[in-house]
Amino acid sequence: MRNAGARIGLVCGFLVLVFTGFAWRLIHLQILKHDYFSEIAAEKHCFRLPIPARRGRILDRNGEELAVNIPVRTVTADGTHIHDPAAVAAVAAPFLEIPEKELAEKLTTGRQYVVIRKEVTEENAQGLMRAMEAHKLHGLYLEEGAERSYPNGEMLCHVLGFVDHSGHGIDGIEKSFDAELRGQDGFRMIEHDRKGREIVIYRGQEQLPEHGADIRLSIDMGLQAIVEKEVDTTYKELHPAAVSAVLADPQTGEILAMACRPNYDPNNFNEAKPEQMRNRTITDMYEPGSTFKIVIADAALNDGIVDEKTRIFCENGHFSYGGKILKDHHGYGDLSLNEILMKSSNIGSAKMALRMSDEAYYGYVRRFGFGEKTGIPLHGEISGQVIPPHRWDMLTKTRMAMGQSVAVTPIQMVMAMSAVANGGKLMKPRLVLNKGEGDAVEENVPLREVVTGKTAKFVATALQGVVSDQGTAPLARIDGFTVAGKTGTAQKISPHGGYFENRFIVSFAGFFPSDRPRLMGLVIVDDAPIGSSANFGGLVAAPVFSKIGAKAARYLDLSPEKSSAVVQSGTPEHATASIR
Amino acid sequence: MNGNRRRTTNSIEVNFLARWLVVFFLLGLSGLFFVYLKNQQHSVGSQAHEVELALREAEAKNEALSAKITAMTSRGALQRRLDDGYIKLEAIRDTAIARITPALPAEPDGVLRTASRDPEVRFGAGAPQRSVNR
Repeated sequence: MRNAGARIGLVCGFLVLVFTGFAWRLIHLQILKHDYFSEIAAEKHCFRLPIPARRGRILDRNGEELAVNIPVRTVTADGTHIHDPAAVAAVAAPFLEIPEKELAEKLTTGRQYVVIRKEVTEENAQGLMRAMEAHKLHGLYLEEGAERSYPNGEMLCHVLGFVDHSGHGIDGIEKSFDAELRGQDGFRMIEHDRKGREIVIYRGQEQLPEHGADIRLSIDMGLQAIVEKEVDTTYKELHPAAVSAVLADPQTGEILAMACRPNYDPNNFNEAKPEQMRNRTITDMYEPGSTFKIVIADAALNDGIVDEKTRIFCENGHFSYGGKILKDHHGYGDLSLNEILMKSSNIGSAKMALRMSDEAYYGYVRRFGFGEKTGIPLHGEISGQVIPPHRWDMLTKTRMAMGQSVAVTPIQMVMAMSAVANGGKLMKPRLVLNKGEGDAVEENVPLREVVTGKTAKFVATALQGVVSDQGTAPLARIDGFTVAGKTGTAQKISPHGGYFENRFIVSFAGFFPSDRPRLMGLVIVDDAPIGSSANFGGLVAAPVFSKIGAKAARYLDLSPEKSSAVVQSGTPEHATASIR
Repeated sequence: MNGNRRRTTNSIEVNFLARWLVVFFLLGLSGLFFVYLKNQQHSVGSQAHEVELALREAEAKNEALSAKITAMTSRGALQRRLDDGYIKLEAIRDTAIARITPALPAEPDGVLRTASRDPEVRFGAGAPQRSVNR
């Protein structure tokens, strides 16, 4: 009996020890090593599933879509879930458009994450998943993504820009407003089973994505199409190095259309050359020539140096100053301010500048916005070049008055001419109306008052004469409207110093209707290979402006002015016929 | 004999047994119910996942089709079709236009306008601005 009792005691003791061991092991696994094993389990089954934010669209002022997203999928493979790579390859190859053999090689991997193909269309991706399910195969997964598309192709390419393959804005609005457009990706912590399927009830922390904001531009695609067509025609007919055109609302500074040639298709930006990608209206500076005469006219009038009755002797076309001869296209005697602008007299402009102090004149040039960036929300804008008075030589002031020795960007010229049109207020160019804030649009506040309303009105009226039969740009006329504007014809600067003999940048900047200008337009034709006798702003750029203006007026349904027939008689068609 | 037999027989306490049986039965039932609920949860989760996938698929298809429609009706695409002669622009005859506002006189540009957005032209100089909301 004693032996039996001892045996029972031994067995019980053994069992106690065993179960104590088990209990200790349980405590060790579940409590002491809890964090360690939880981490290993989480690594194996839990992961952070990114929920991509949708990139915002870019719209024109009327809500027309200019940049949209096309949903595409990235197909990935988990090698540990693929038991028969050949079978999976046979099913998936037609949907992925990859040769079966090549795909089978890619799938024969022990790695858990392999990108098989990017930018698979939604249709193909869904077809692939259905086929995999039908064949009871596993191991291929889809990731969400989107491809950026620009439905209008080349149209407005320099403003819109493009995004790279990772969806980051590289140029244009896509770059300037990348943060707003991109939004914030969300995520979800999930657990999946052995076959990679999500176990929904074990979903963890989740953060929804913040989709990118839609950007509504001030661009009106109706006007943009008009401008693009005329710019394109000019580029193809005249074969210049470049053509640029801008349409703006002079009252608000809103940019309504902006086009350059050469251009590119942002859908295929890889094929574009650097010179095609330049938005020349903000990245290129040029000597403006006579369009710059609006500055000295405004400045002299505003400071009381001249008035409407003042007559300036224009030396019959030859003015000797500073050891150089300054010439006019024709010889003129006494000219009023109106006539100086109408005839585009270099000597008259130079003499007005000479009556002003250097600092005062320089001050006006800067107040018109030259020599500083306009602040248009596009990358690559330059500030142009305005030489300060302490670096002027004797001739600088007279040259600046006629648009030489100064370099401006087209957008600066548009805003300066807009200031003349809107009563003397310099506006900041506005390209974006709002950023996903519904219809709310902030009022555009003027940067500064450059000249008084009276001065601006006088110069604006004087500029109407430029488009008359006596002026330099009768071809800029628009039926039914009084156009005010100024031509510019500037020799191109040679990189070896001085100017090229027969190479010109010609331009026309103008606005209409006269009572309350609604449209301000600038057309620049750079180095058109036509004879110097015909390469003038009034002959090359003005007709383009006229065509754009006429179509734009009809598009906007502007009411014709009754006084236009009196101020600017004749029709552009007649004028074209007589010059050609 | 009877006395001895009575001494060696253990009585079964039915009440006590029944109580524990009920307790274990209830415990077992709760366990089964717990497993059933868990399975239901998994099943509902899977269904929710399926619905999510279907929604996402429909949304993606919708986006893809919208993008296709945008591409096909974009200005560039329409211009190309116009240039190729697939579509044609035809002027609307004056007699086919129902005018809400009187037509503007055809001067000085010779172009008749269907309507003007300028209230002064539509209702005469000095006319008050008309509002749709009355």
